[in-house]
Amino acid sequence: MSVFDIYIQQIVNGLILGSFYALIALGYSMVYGIIKMLNFAHGDIYMFGAFGSWAVFYFFANRAGAEWACLLFGVLAAMCLCAALGFLIQRVAYRPLFDAPRLSLMIVAIGVSLVLENAIMMVTNGDSVYLNLGINMTAGFRIGHVSVKWIQLVLFLIAVVVMVGLTLLINYTKWGQAMRAVSEDMNTCRLMGINANKVIALTFIIGSVLAAIAGTMNGVYYGSLKYDMGYMMGIKAFTAAVIGGIGSIPGAMLGGILLGVLEALGTQICGSAWKDVFAFGLLILMLVFKPNGIFGLSETERM
Amino acid sequence: MKQSTSLRAFLGKRSTQWTGILVVLIFAVTLPLYANIYVIGVAWNALFYMLLALGCNVIVGYAGLCDLGYSSKVAIGAYTTAILMKTFGWNFWATLPVSILASAIIACLVGMPTLRLRGDYLAIVTLGFSEIIRLVARNLNVTGSASGISGIKSPVIFGVKFSTPWMQYFIFLILVIIFIFVSLRLKRSRFGRALEYMREDEDAARAMGVNVPRFKLLAFVIGSVMGGLAGSFYAVKMGSFSPSYVTFTESAYILLIVVLGGMGKTPGMLLGATLFIVLQEIFRNVGNSRMLIFGILLVLIMIFRPQGIWPDKRPSFLPSRRERKQLSERTETHGTG
Amino acid sequence: MALVEVDHLTVRFGGLTAINDLSFTTEEGSITALIGPNGAGKTTAFNCLTGFYKPTEGDVRFDGKSLAPLKPHEITALGIIRTFQNVRLFKRMSVMENVMSGPHSITKQSVFGALFHGPAQKKEEAFIRQTALESMEFAGIADLGDSIAQDLPYGLQRRVELARAIAAKPRLMLLDEPAAGLNDAEKEELMALIRRCRDELGITVFLIEHDMDMIMNLAEKIVVISFGSKIAEGTPDEVKNDSVVIEAYLGSEDEPA
Repeated sequence: MSVFDIYIQQIVNGLILGSFYALIALGYSMVYGIIKMLNFAHGDIYMFGAFGSWAVFYFFANRAGAEWACLLFGVLAAMCLCAALGFLIQRVAYRPLFDAPRLSLMIVAIGVSLVLENAIMMVTNGDSVYLNLGINMTAGFRIGHVSVKWIQLVLFLIAVVVMVGLTLLINYTKWGQAMRAVSEDMNTCRLMGINANKVIALTFIIGSVLAAIAGTMNGVYYGSLKYDMGYMMGIKAFTAAVIGGIGSIPGAMLGGILLGVLEALGTQICGSAWKDVFAFGLLILMLVFKPNGIFGLSETERM
Repeated sequence: MKQSTSLRAFLGKRSTQWTGILVVLIFAVTLPLYANIYVIGVAWNALFYMLLALGCNVIVGYAGLCDLGYSSKVAIGAYTTAILMKTFGWNFWATLPVSILASAIIACLVGMPTLRLRGDYLAIVTLGFSEIIRLVARNLNVTGSASGISGIKSPVIFGVKFSTPWMQYFIFLILVIIFIFVSLRLKRSRFGRALEYMREDEDAARAMGVNVPRFKLLAFVIGSVMGGLAGSFYAVKMGSFSPSYVTFTESAYILLIVVLGGMGKTPGMLLGATLFIVLQEIFRNVGNSRMLIFGILLVLIMIFRPQGIWPDKRPSFLPSRRERKQLSERTETHGTG
Repeated sequence: MALVEVDHLTVRFGGLTAINDLSFTTEEGSITALIGPNGAGKTTAFNCLTGFYKPTEGDVRFDGKSLAPLKPHEITALGIIRTFQNVRLFKRMSVMENVMSGPHSITKQSVFGALFHGPAQKKEEAFIRQTALESMEFAGIADLGDSIAQDLPYGLQRRVELARAIAAKPRLMLLDEPAAGLNDAEKEELMALIRRCRDELGITVFLIEHDMDMIMNLAEKIVVISFGSKIAEGTPDEVKNDSVVIEAYLGSEDEPA
């Protein structure tokens, strides 16, 4: 295997990681675009999604077998759970503070994040739980020296389908239009008769559903779940959203994939101990040289 | 309602406040006389969190910047002192200026590019940066890798070893008093007011001539230096320091104290830290659910009492009768400039 | 010499031209108004003077010095102070503290001054307080010092904002629709106050305004713009009878002229 092949292999591995980042980054980016808030708890919603699908999967798998059907059930249940959770959080914790300084919203989000994370920690006693689908995870095919696992291909394709679906939803439905309008100018939308609160709630719900999908995919791919899995994933996904240009939907997708690939390459070059340093270093460099991200619009300051 | 206003009037009186300060001070100074080792230990812990809260308050409270990596600032000071003492055999006191300098330089490096940007970016950068600090400390030999640096000798102060509990207690008490002094001086000055203008309305502050990025950076550096100093003292108190200190949980604790006490209010920081330690002692047996409770607390405070537990009171800058006379005399001689 | 020179100013946002080749001057010690129908580019021109927008082409000069490369706080340091269309006070701070932000741009003590509290710091603090007290006195809000800004009625908040501007001891005051949201009595008082700023303190005043009554009474020179270009300039009487101006306003009849 040549050096070149090793890098190609890392890019393939990076793509799958990147698609997780992208799905979560979308939630950050959409919420940020609409209410200019860093939803710190988003990473934990992703974690909740992973645990939700795991719990449902085991509940049925122990009784019925047929892992794939059970997993499908699991992911649907997780999507519903996260949608409800996302809605509830924004309704109970965030909405009272929409008009407060951004710092207050951020602190509430941190509080929510602590609650979610530690609730799962109490339930699981801080231990990892394992998700075993009973399929051969290593099966795959080779292109030259580069090996691609079936599971990677399948998960990546699912992520792509979900993202295409989201793009269609945003661009071609009434609600998508309302979301774009609210992110442009919330007050004008209120005057035009758009129920901004409903649109915000919807944004949270969609973001949470995507996080649930990403959580399940992550659980299937790595096979183990832990209560603090949302923390690092959350910061990385936010980084991805910033790289792509926060508030931009294609930006979040591209930023996620890009961060995943760069991180995989960085790991290859610097060693796995420096993996996260590399990712955060990238974030800081990005903010220094291109703070609006790849797709971000430069903001004209308005009085 | 009536009762609460009269209570407020009573608490607002200068004489009440001075009595309060005196009582707290006497209590704090005489505590080692009647407290056992356990209580002194807990009290020391409270003092340590007061230091951190006072430092973090300059960044979060005064300047309204969201810093999610305050524990990394403590680590910078602690590692500077630990490395200089262990590896280079420096005297503890000689390491302090270096610790201040290191904290300030690193704060500048992090702050300069990010403070120009939107507020939320600072949050994520400070968080990311604190991860970088932890990972770098874990992976370098000079910082003792994952196990950290241990066996840091405690300095001798006035012939008494720093390692005796009551000495530790007093040193930290003095530090807290210095930090309070610094906080109050900063707050009641052109600098402190500029920070507050900025926090209240950044555009208006800019229009009044406040150099926003510069003042943000100054606040960020001051807060970081205070954290670094606290870290230096923490390192010699513990005798060791390891990367496991630098966690988001630790930073979140500090933020919680600042929010609980009331952002920007110095006495609030003292009360917040005390309450936090008391809560922690109470919930010691509850174990895992402690953070859960803190999380809920954070949400509830922000929604129902965003100004924190310490009551709001604006300082009056209006002149007293005597001052008014002096001022008017001066106006007559100088005219309106 | 003219204090403010707007020299062939053009501002574009992407493809939209907000200001097109606008030129006019303001004499020292005058009261000048910029008017025009909604969307004419008044606020954009205003924001170029305060440094919040940068000109795409052309230049804005104050006392011969170009404002384009300066940051907002540097512009304030030159002696240009602005107010906001919808009153931007430091809401939760007292009136006195609000007004004390005025002298910020003409004082310089920073962190070390605050920490060591030396004689220079003490002198400056006294100066800041003194200036603030005088400005409050001037604006007729001397007895409101300890009130919290957001508790005051809107008309008084306007006064506080003006007092804050006066306390900066500016050479030029830029007022962004100062009469917005005021009733007739309050408007009268405000006009008197603005006039006194010029007459007694020698501050040059430049304002943008919708309220024709106020403009005609207050301004000595009026610049009228429409769709980003200047269409007329002159004394209130000249502008009032200018056929182009009348057409511009009648052409958009539903505008609050």
